Amino acid sequence: YPIFAQQNYASPREATGRIVCANCHLAKKPVDIEVPQAVLPDTVFEAVVKIPYDTQVQQVLGNGKKGPLNVGAVLILPEGFKLAPQDRIPEEMKSKISNLYFQPYNAANENILVIGPIPGDKNREIVFPILSPDPAKDKGTYFIKYPISVGANRGRGQVYPDGSKSNNTVYNASVSGTITDIIKEKKAYKISIETKDGTVVDTVPVGPELIVAKGDTVVTGQPITDNPNVGGFGQMDTEVVLQNPVRIKWLIAFLILSTLGQVFLVLKKKQFERVQIAESNF
Amino acid sequence: MSLQKKPDLKDPVLRAKLAKGMGHNYYGEPAWPNDLLYTFPVCILGTIGCLVGLAVLEPTMFGEPANPFATPLEILPEWYFFPVFQILRVIPNKLLGVVLMAGVPAGLLTVPFIESINKFQNPFRRPVAMTVFLIGTVVAVWLGIGATLPIDTSLTLGFF
Repeated sequence: YPIFAQQNYASPREATGRIVCANCHLAKKPVDIEVPQAVLPDTVFEAVVKIPYDTQVQQVLGNGKKGPLNVGAVLILPEGFKLAPQDRIPEEMKSKISNLYFQPYNAANENILVIGPIPGDKNREIVFPILSPDPAKDKGTYFIKYPISVGANRGRGQVYPDGSKSNNTVYNASVSGTITDIIKEKKAYKISIETKDGTVVDTVPVGPELIVAKGDTVVTGQPITDNPNVGGFGQMDTEVVLQNPVRIKWLIAFLILSTLGQVFLVLKKKQFERVQIAESNF
Repeated sequence: MSLQKKPDLKDPVLRAKLAKGMGHNYYGEPAWPNDLLYTFPVCILGTIGCLVGLAVLEPTMFGEPANPFATPLEILPEWYFFPVFQILRVIPNKLLGVVLMAGVPAGLLTVPFIESINKFQNPFRRPVAMTVFLIGTVVAVWLGIGATLPIDTSLTLGFF
Protein backbone atom coordinates (compact mmCIF):
# COMPACT_ATOMS: atom_id res chain seq x y z
CA TYR A 1 0.00 0.00 0.00
CA PRO A 2 1.19 3.57 -0.64
CA ILE A 3 0.55 4.29 3.03
CA PHE A 4 3.40 1.94 3.98
CA ALA A 5 5.82 3.97 1.88
CA GLN A 6 4.45 7.24 3.25
CA GLN A 7 4.95 5.99 6.81
CA ASN A 8 8.44 4.64 6.31
CA TYR A 9 10.21 6.89 3.80
CA ALA A 10 10.53 10.70 3.73
CA SER A 11 10.94 10.54 -0.04
CA PRO A 12 9.71 7.70 -2.26
CA ARG A 13 12.77 7.94 -4.50
CA GLU A 14 16.03 6.58 -3.16
CA ALA A 15 19.38 8.13 -4.07
CA THR A 16 19.91 5.37 -6.62
CA GLY A 17 16.75 6.36 -8.47
CA ARG A 18 14.86 3.32 -7.20
CA ILE A 19 11.31 3.95 -6.05
CA VAL A 20 10.64 2.46 -2.64
CA CYS A 21 7.48 0.57 -3.72
CA ALA A 22 9.90 -1.95 -5.25
CA ASN A 23 10.98 -2.92 -1.72
CA CYS A 24 7.67 -4.72 -1.16
CA HIS A 25 6.39 -5.27 -4.71
CA LEU A 26 9.21 -7.52 -5.79
CA ALA A 27 8.16 -8.55 -9.30
CA LYS A 28 9.06 -6.28 -12.18
CA LYS A 29 6.42 -5.40 -14.76
CA PRO A 30 6.33 -2.67 -17.40
CA VAL A 31 4.71 0.73 -16.93
CA ASP A 32 4.49 3.71 -19.21
CA ILE A 33 3.94 7.43 -18.79
CA GLU A 34 2.89 10.06 -21.29
CA VAL A 35 3.46 13.73 -20.62
CA PRO A 36 3.55 16.65 -23.06
CA GLN A 37 6.95 17.50 -24.52
CA ALA A 38 6.63 21.03 -23.14
CA VAL A 39 4.17 22.92 -20.95
CA LEU A 40 3.55 26.62 -20.48
CA PRO A 41 3.78 28.14 -16.98
CA ASP A 42 0.69 28.09 -14.73
CA THR A 43 -1.11 25.63 -17.01
CA VAL A 44 -3.04 22.46 -16.23
CA PHE A 45 -1.82 19.45 -18.19
CA GLU A 46 -2.28 15.71 -17.88
CA ALA A 47 0.24 12.98 -17.19
CA VAL A 48 -1.11 9.59 -18.25
CA VAL A 49 0.28 6.60 -16.39
CA LYS A 50 -0.34 3.27 -18.10
CA ILE A 51 -0.28 0.05 -16.08
CA PRO A 52 -0.87 -2.75 -18.58
CA TYR A 53 -1.94 -6.18 -17.37
CA ASP A 54 -4.34 -8.92 -18.35
CA THR A 55 -7.66 -8.26 -16.58
CA GLN A 56 -8.58 -11.96 -16.83
CA VAL A 57 -5.86 -12.79 -14.34
CA GLN A 58 -6.80 -13.00 -10.68
CA GLN A 59 -4.59 -12.65 -7.66
CA VAL A 60 -4.54 -14.14 -4.19
CA LEU A 61 -6.29 -11.92 -1.66
CA GLY A 62 -5.41 -11.54 1.97
CA ASN A 63 -7.89 -14.24 2.99
CA GLY A 64 -6.47 -16.73 0.49
CA LYS A 65 -9.32 -16.40 -2.00
CA LYS A 66 -8.89 -15.17 -5.57
CA GLY A 67 -9.88 -11.67 -6.63
CA PRO A 68 -9.20 -8.89 -9.12
CA LEU A 69 -6.01 -6.85 -9.07
CA ASN A 70 -5.71 -3.33 -7.73
CA VAL A 71 -3.39 -0.71 -9.13
CA GLY A 72 -1.57 2.24 -7.64
CA ALA A 73 0.97 4.79 -8.72
CA VAL A 74 3.38 7.40 -7.43
CA LEU A 75 4.29 10.35 -9.63
CA ILE A 76 7.41 12.28 -8.66
CA LEU A 77 7.17 15.71 -10.23
CA PRO A 78 9.84 18.41 -10.10
CA GLU A 79 9.67 20.96 -7.29
CA GLY A 80 6.94 23.50 -7.94
CA PHE A 81 4.68 21.23 -9.98
CA LYS A 82 1.58 20.14 -8.07
CA LEU A 83 -1.84 18.58 -8.33
CA ALA A 84 -4.22 20.86 -10.24
CA PRO A 85 -6.94 22.36 -8.02
CA GLN A 86 -10.46 21.20 -8.86
CA ASP A 87 -11.61 24.59 -10.23
CA ARG A 88 -8.69 24.74 -12.70
CA ILE A 89 -9.31 21.34 -14.29
CA PRO A 90 -11.19 21.62 -17.62
CA GLU A 91 -14.40 19.61 -17.97
CA GLU A 92 -12.93 17.34 -20.64
CA MET A 93 -10.09 16.29 -18.35
CA LYS A 94 -12.47 15.87 -15.41
CA SER A 95 -14.38 13.15 -17.25
CA LYS A 96 -11.15 11.20 -17.76
CA ILE A 97 -10.17 11.51 -14.12
CA SER A 98 -13.68 10.52 -12.90
CA ASN A 99 -13.62 10.20 -9.13
CA LEU A 100 -10.02 9.28 -8.52
CA TYR A 101 -8.52 10.70 -5.37
CA PHE A 102 -4.91 11.82 -5.64
CA GLN A 103 -3.02 12.87 -2.57
CA PRO A 104 0.38 14.47 -1.98
CA TYR A 105 2.98 12.04 -0.65
CA ASN A 106 3.40 14.10 2.52
CA ALA A 107 3.05 17.67 3.71
CA ALA A 108 6.62 18.54 2.76
CA ASN A 109 6.38 17.12 -0.76
CA GLU A 110 3.45 18.65 -2.60
CA ASN A 111 5.15 17.72 -5.87
CA ILE A 112 4.93 13.98 -5.22
CA LEU A 113 1.51 12.51 -5.93
CA VAL A 114 0.21 9.15 -4.78
CA ILE A 115 -2.85 7.18 -5.76
CA GLY A 116 -4.04 3.74 -4.86
CA PRO A 117 -4.99 1.10 -4.30
CA ILE A 118 -7.82 1.50 -6.81
CA PRO A 119 -9.59 -1.21 -8.86
CA GLY A 120 -7.38 -2.06 -11.80
CA ASP A 121 -9.93 -3.14 -14.39
CA LYS A 122 -11.13 0.44 -14.98
CA ASN A 123 -7.92 2.25 -14.13
CA ARG A 124 -5.19 0.73 -16.21
CA GLU A 125 -4.70 4.30 -17.46
CA ILE A 126 -4.54 6.87 -14.67
CA VAL A 127 -4.73 10.53 -15.69
CA PHE A 128 -2.98 12.88 -13.27
CA PRO A 129 -4.10 16.52 -13.57
CA ILE A 130 -1.02 18.64 -12.95
CA LEU A 131 -0.53 22.38 -12.58
CA SER A 132 2.79 23.72 -13.85
CA PRO A 133 4.54 26.45 -11.83
CA ASP A 134 5.07 30.03 -12.98
CA PRO A 135 8.73 31.06 -12.55
CA ALA A 136 7.59 34.68 -12.28
CA LYS A 137 5.74 33.85 -9.06
CA ASP A 138 7.15 30.57 -7.76
CA LYS A 139 10.70 30.90 -6.49
CA GLY A 140 13.07 28.12 -7.39
CA THR A 141 11.40 27.22 -10.67
CA TYR A 142 12.97 28.10 -14.00
CA PHE A 143 12.25 27.66 -17.69
CA ILE A 144 14.29 24.48 -18.09
CA LYS A 145 13.78 20.81 -18.75
CA TYR A 146 12.67 18.82 -15.71
CA PRO A 147 12.78 15.09 -14.96
CA ILE A 148 9.61 13.21 -13.97
CA SER A 149 9.70 9.74 -12.41
CA VAL A 150 6.77 7.43 -12.13
CA GLY A 151 6.37 4.19 -10.27
CA ALA A 152 3.25 2.12 -10.79
CA ASN A 153 2.11 -1.21 -9.47
CA ARG A 154 -0.55 -3.81 -10.01
CA GLY A 155 -1.33 -6.51 -7.53
CA ARG A 156 -0.46 -7.08 -3.89
CA GLY A 157 2.98 -6.85 -2.35
CA GLN A 158 5.19 -9.76 -1.36
CA VAL A 159 6.57 -8.47 1.92
CA TYR A 160 5.39 -6.00 4.53
CA PRO A 161 7.55 -3.06 5.62
CA ASP A 162 8.59 -4.99 8.73
CA GLY A 163 10.05 -7.71 6.49
CA SER A 164 7.41 -10.38 7.06
CA LYS A 165 6.05 -12.18 4.03
CA SER A 166 2.53 -11.68 2.72
CA ASN A 167 0.52 -14.63 1.44
CA ASN A 168 1.26 -13.53 -2.14
CA THR A 169 4.75 -14.92 -2.46
CA VAL A 170 6.87 -18.09 -2.44
CA TYR A 171 7.51 -19.85 0.87
CA ASN A 172 10.70 -21.80 1.39
CA ALA A 173 11.61 -24.62 3.72
CA SER A 174 13.30 -23.23 6.82
CA VAL A 175 15.34 -26.39 7.47
CA SER A 176 16.50 -29.54 5.71
CA GLY A 177 14.63 -32.71 6.53
CA THR A 178 11.66 -34.89 5.73
CA ILE A 179 8.09 -33.64 5.77
CA THR A 180 6.25 -35.76 8.27
CA ASP A 181 2.92 -34.01 8.40
CA ILE A 182 0.89 -31.30 6.68
CA ILE A 183 -2.09 -29.97 8.62
CA LYS A 184 -4.49 -27.57 6.96
CA GLU A 185 -5.85 -25.08 9.43
CA LYS A 186 -8.37 -22.36 8.74
CA LYS A 187 -5.87 -19.72 7.67
CA ALA A 188 -2.61 -21.60 7.28
CA TYR A 189 -0.84 -24.88 6.60
CA LYS A 190 1.32 -26.28 9.35
CA ILE A 191 4.13 -28.27 7.78
CA SER A 192 6.18 -30.43 10.12
CA ILE A 193 9.70 -31.09 8.92
CA GLU A 194 11.67 -33.74 10.78
CA THR A 195 15.37 -33.04 11.04
CA LYS A 196 18.21 -34.71 12.87
CA ASP A 197 17.73 -32.30 15.77
CA GLY A 198 13.98 -32.62 16.11
CA THR A 199 10.83 -31.49 14.34
CA VAL A 200 10.37 -27.95 13.01
CA VAL A 201 6.95 -26.62 12.05
CA ASP A 202 6.77 -24.24 9.07
CA THR A 203 3.66 -22.13 8.74
CA VAL A 204 2.41 -21.24 5.26
CA PRO A 205 -0.66 -19.01 5.07
CA VAL A 206 -3.42 -19.93 2.63
CA GLY A 207 -2.87 -18.43 -0.80
CA PRO A 208 0.19 -20.01 -2.38
CA GLU A 209 -0.31 -23.65 -3.48
CA LEU A 210 1.84 -26.25 -1.76
CA ILE A 211 4.11 -28.16 -4.13
CA VAL A 212 5.37 -30.66 -1.56
CA ALA A 213 3.60 -33.63 -0.05
CA LYS A 214 3.94 -35.72 3.05
CA GLY A 215 7.09 -37.83 2.93
CA ASP A 216 9.05 -35.49 0.64
CA THR A 217 12.60 -34.54 1.51
CA VAL A 218 13.41 -30.85 1.42
CA VAL A 219 16.59 -28.84 1.85
CA THR A 220 16.90 -25.41 3.46
CA GLY A 221 15.64 -22.68 1.17
CA GLN A 222 13.86 -25.04 -1.19
CA PRO A 223 10.53 -23.55 -2.32
CA ILE A 224 7.64 -25.50 -0.85
CA THR A 225 4.92 -23.47 -2.58
CA ASP A 226 4.37 -22.07 -6.05
CA ASN A 227 4.60 -18.34 -6.65
CA PRO A 228 1.05 -16.97 -6.69
CA ASN A 229 2.11 -13.43 -7.54
CA VAL A 230 0.67 -12.17 -10.85
CA GLY A 231 1.31 -8.47 -10.31
CA GLY A 232 4.40 -6.37 -10.33
CA PHE A 233 5.90 -2.94 -10.04
CA GLY A 234 7.60 -0.84 -12.68
CA GLN A 235 9.18 2.55 -12.82
CA MET A 236 10.06 4.93 -15.60
CA ASP A 237 11.64 8.34 -16.07
CA THR A 238 10.58 10.95 -18.54
CA GLU A 239 11.08 14.66 -18.97
CA VAL A 240 9.06 17.79 -19.58
CA VAL A 241 10.16 21.26 -20.65
CA LEU A 242 8.71 24.24 -18.80
CA GLN A 243 8.51 26.57 -21.78
CA ASN A 244 8.55 30.35 -21.77
CA PRO A 245 5.97 31.69 -24.27
CA VAL A 246 8.11 34.79 -24.90
CA ARG A 247 10.99 32.60 -26.02
CA ILE A 248 8.74 30.84 -28.53
CA LYS A 249 7.65 34.17 -30.04
CA TRP A 250 11.25 35.31 -30.40
CA LEU A 251 12.23 31.96 -31.86
CA ILE A 252 9.51 32.13 -34.51
CA ALA A 253 10.51 35.72 -35.35
CA PHE A 254 14.15 34.70 -35.64
CA LEU A 255 13.39 31.67 -37.83
CA ILE A 256 11.23 33.75 -40.17
CA LEU A 257 13.99 36.34 -40.40
CA SER A 258 16.72 33.80 -41.12
CA THR A 259 14.57 32.05 -43.75
CA LEU A 260 13.97 35.42 -45.43
CA GLY A 261 17.72 36.04 -45.28
CA GLN A 262 18.38 32.71 -47.01
CA VAL A 263 15.82 33.46 -49.73
CA PHE A 264 17.34 36.86 -50.40
CA LEU A 265 20.87 35.43 -50.53
CA VAL A 266 19.79 32.95 -53.19
CA LEU A 267 17.98 35.68 -55.14
CA LYS A 268 21.05 37.92 -54.95
CA LYS A 269 23.20 35.07 -56.22
CA LYS A 270 20.89 34.46 -59.18
CA GLN A 271 20.97 38.18 -59.98
CA PHE A 272 24.76 38.30 -59.75
CA GLU A 273 25.10 35.24 -62.01
CA ARG A 274 23.22 37.13 -64.72
CA VAL A 275 25.74 39.99 -64.33
CA GLN A 276 28.62 37.52 -64.59
CA ILE A 277 27.20 35.97 -67.77
CA ALA A 278 26.49 39.40 -69.30
CA GLU A 279 30.03 40.58 -68.60
CA SER A 280 31.60 37.14 -69.35
CA ASN A 281 33.56 37.65 -66.17
CA PHE A 282 33.96 34.35 -64.30
CA MET B 1 21.68 24.77 -62.31
CA SER B 2 24.09 27.40 -61.19
CA LEU B 3 26.61 29.15 -63.37
CA GLN B 4 29.33 26.76 -64.55
CA LYS B 5 32.76 27.54 -65.96
CA LYS B 6 33.92 25.05 -68.61
CA PRO B 7 37.39 23.51 -68.32
CA ASP B 8 39.92 25.03 -70.73
CA LEU B 9 41.30 21.81 -72.19
CA LYS B 10 43.78 23.72 -74.35
CA ASP B 11 45.67 24.77 -71.23
CA PRO B 12 48.64 22.34 -70.88
CA VAL B 13 48.96 23.10 -67.16
CA LEU B 14 45.35 22.04 -66.52
CA ARG B 15 45.73 18.94 -68.72
CA ALA B 16 48.82 17.90 -66.79
CA LYS B 17 46.97 18.34 -63.51
CA LEU B 18 43.87 16.47 -64.73
CA ALA B 19 46.12 13.58 -65.83
CA LYS B 20 47.26 13.28 -62.22
CA GLY B 21 43.70 13.34 -60.93
CA MET B 22 43.96 16.94 -59.74
CA GLY B 23 42.97 20.40 -61.01
CA HIS B 24 39.23 20.03 -60.53
CA ASN B 25 39.12 23.51 -59.00
CA TYR B 26 39.91 25.04 -62.42
CA TYR B 27 36.36 24.62 -63.71
CA GLY B 28 32.78 24.38 -62.46
CA GLU B 29 31.07 26.93 -60.25
CA PRO B 30 33.40 29.76 -59.18
CA ALA B 31 34.08 29.64 -55.45
CA TRP B 32 34.16 33.40 -55.06
CA PRO B 33 31.72 35.03 -54.87
CA ASN B 34 29.05 32.56 -56.07
CA ASP B 35 29.63 29.86 -53.47
CA LEU B 36 31.46 31.53 -50.60
CA LEU B 37 29.53 34.80 -50.47
CA TYR B 38 26.00 33.60 -51.27
CA THR B 39 25.57 29.85 -50.63
CA PHE B 40 27.70 29.47 -47.51
CA PRO B 41 25.63 31.97 -45.46
CA VAL B 42 22.48 30.06 -46.45
CA CYS B 43 23.91 26.92 -44.85
CA ILE B 44 25.30 28.85 -41.88
CA LEU B 45 21.92 30.49 -41.21
CA GLY B 46 20.15 27.14 -41.53
CA THR B 47 22.54 25.54 -39.03
CA ILE B 48 22.16 28.42 -36.58
CA GLY B 49 18.37 28.21 -36.94
CA CYS B 50 18.40 24.48 -36.13
CA LEU B 51 20.67 24.98 -33.11
CA VAL B 52 18.68 27.90 -31.70
CA GLY B 53 15.46 25.95 -32.21
CA LEU B 54 16.85 22.95 -30.34
CA ALA B 55 18.24 25.14 -27.57
CA VAL B 56 14.85 26.78 -27.02
CA LEU B 57 12.55 23.79 -27.53
CA GLU B 58 14.66 20.95 -26.15
CA PRO B 59 17.09 22.39 -23.57
CA THR B 60 19.60 20.04 -21.97
CA MET B 61 18.41 18.70 -18.63
CA PHE B 62 20.42 19.20 -15.47
CA GLY B 63 21.58 15.82 -14.24
CA GLU B 64 21.20 14.66 -10.69
CA PRO B 65 23.95 15.66 -8.27
CA ALA B 66 26.66 13.01 -8.25
CA ASN B 67 26.63 10.73 -5.23
CA PRO B 68 29.54 8.30 -4.92
CA PHE B 69 27.61 6.22 -2.37
CA ALA B 70 24.56 5.61 -4.56
CA THR B 71 25.08 3.94 -7.92
CA PRO B 72 22.15 4.74 -10.21
CA LEU B 73 19.96 1.80 -11.20
CA GLU B 74 20.96 2.09 -14.83
CA ILE B 75 24.51 3.04 -15.60
CA LEU B 76 25.45 4.10 -19.11
CA PRO B 77 28.59 5.77 -20.44
CA GLU B 78 28.61 8.55 -23.03
CA TRP B 79 26.78 7.49 -26.19
CA TYR B 80 29.94 6.95 -28.25
CA PHE B 81 31.07 4.30 -25.78
CA PHE B 82 27.81 2.33 -26.01
CA PRO B 83 29.11 -0.45 -28.35
CA VAL B 84 32.28 -1.02 -26.31
CA PHE B 85 30.27 -0.89 -23.07
CA GLN B 86 27.97 -3.54 -24.52
CA ILE B 87 30.95 -5.79 -25.36
CA LEU B 88 32.15 -5.50 -21.77
CA ARG B 89 28.65 -6.12 -20.45
CA VAL B 90 27.61 -9.22 -22.40
CA ILE B 91 30.91 -11.12 -22.37
CA PRO B 92 30.91 -13.23 -19.24
CA ASN B 93 34.70 -13.36 -18.92
CA LYS B 94 35.88 -9.91 -17.79
CA LEU B 95 39.44 -10.40 -19.04
CA LEU B 96 38.18 -11.40 -22.48
CA GLY B 97 35.87 -8.37 -22.41
CA VAL B 98 38.74 -6.01 -21.65
CA VAL B 99 40.90 -7.62 -24.35
CA LEU B 100 38.11 -7.25 -26.92
CA MET B 101 37.60 -3.66 -25.80
CA ALA B 102 41.28 -2.92 -26.34
CA GLY B 103 41.05 -4.78 -29.63
CA VAL B 104 38.87 -2.06 -31.15
CA PRO B 105 41.54 0.70 -31.19
CA ALA B 106 44.24 -1.92 -31.81
CA GLY B 107 42.40 -3.09 -34.93
CA LEU B 108 41.93 0.48 -36.11
CA LEU B 109 45.69 1.09 -35.70
CA THR B 110 46.44 -1.59 -38.30
CA VAL B 111 44.25 0.05 -40.95
CA PRO B 112 46.87 2.53 -42.29
CA PHE B 113 49.33 -0.32 -42.77
CA ILE B 114 47.08 -2.74 -44.61
CA GLU B 115 44.77 -0.41 -46.52
CA SER B 116 47.41 0.25 -49.22
CA ILE B 117 47.27 -3.42 -50.32
CA ASN B 118 44.51 -2.32 -52.68
CA LYS B 119 45.65 0.70 -54.72
CA PHE B 120 42.16 1.90 -55.67
CA GLN B 121 40.37 4.68 -53.84
CA ASN B 122 36.93 3.99 -55.31
CA PRO B 123 34.88 2.16 -52.64
CA PHE B 124 33.34 -0.10 -55.30
CA ARG B 125 36.86 -1.30 -56.19
CA ARG B 126 37.64 -2.15 -52.56
CA PRO B 127 35.12 -4.93 -51.88
CA VAL B 128 36.95 -6.46 -48.90
CA ALA B 129 37.54 -3.15 -47.14
CA MET B 130 33.97 -2.02 -47.80
CA THR B 131 32.51 -5.30 -46.52
CA VAL B 132 34.57 -5.08 -43.34
CA PHE B 133 33.58 -1.43 -42.89
CA LEU B 134 29.86 -2.02 -43.43
CA ILE B 135 29.72 -5.09 -41.19
CA GLY B 136 31.65 -3.16 -38.53
CA THR B 137 29.20 -0.27 -38.74
CA VAL B 138 26.15 -2.54 -38.48
CA VAL B 139 27.67 -4.42 -35.53
CA ALA B 140 28.57 -1.15 -33.77
CA VAL B 141 25.03 0.19 -34.20
CA TRP B 142 23.58 -3.14 -33.05
CA LEU B 143 25.78 -3.23 -29.95
CA GLY B 144 25.12 0.44 -29.30
CA ILE B 145 21.35 0.03 -29.33
CA GLY B 146 21.69 -3.11 -27.23
CA ALA B 147 23.62 -1.23 -24.57
CA THR B 148 20.54 0.87 -23.79
CA LEU B 149 18.25 -2.16 -23.35
CA PRO B 150 17.97 -4.51 -20.37
CA ILE B 151 20.60 -7.23 -20.46
CA ASP B 152 18.21 -10.08 -21.31
CA THR B 153 16.96 -8.40 -24.50
CA SER B 154 20.15 -6.57 -25.37
CA LEU B 155 21.46 -9.02 -27.97
CA THR B 156 18.16 -9.74 -29.71
CA LEU B 157 16.97 -6.10 -29.30
CA GLY B 158 13.70 -7.60 -28.10
CA PHE B 159 12.68 -8.75 -31.59
CA PHE B 160 12.81 -12.50 -30.92
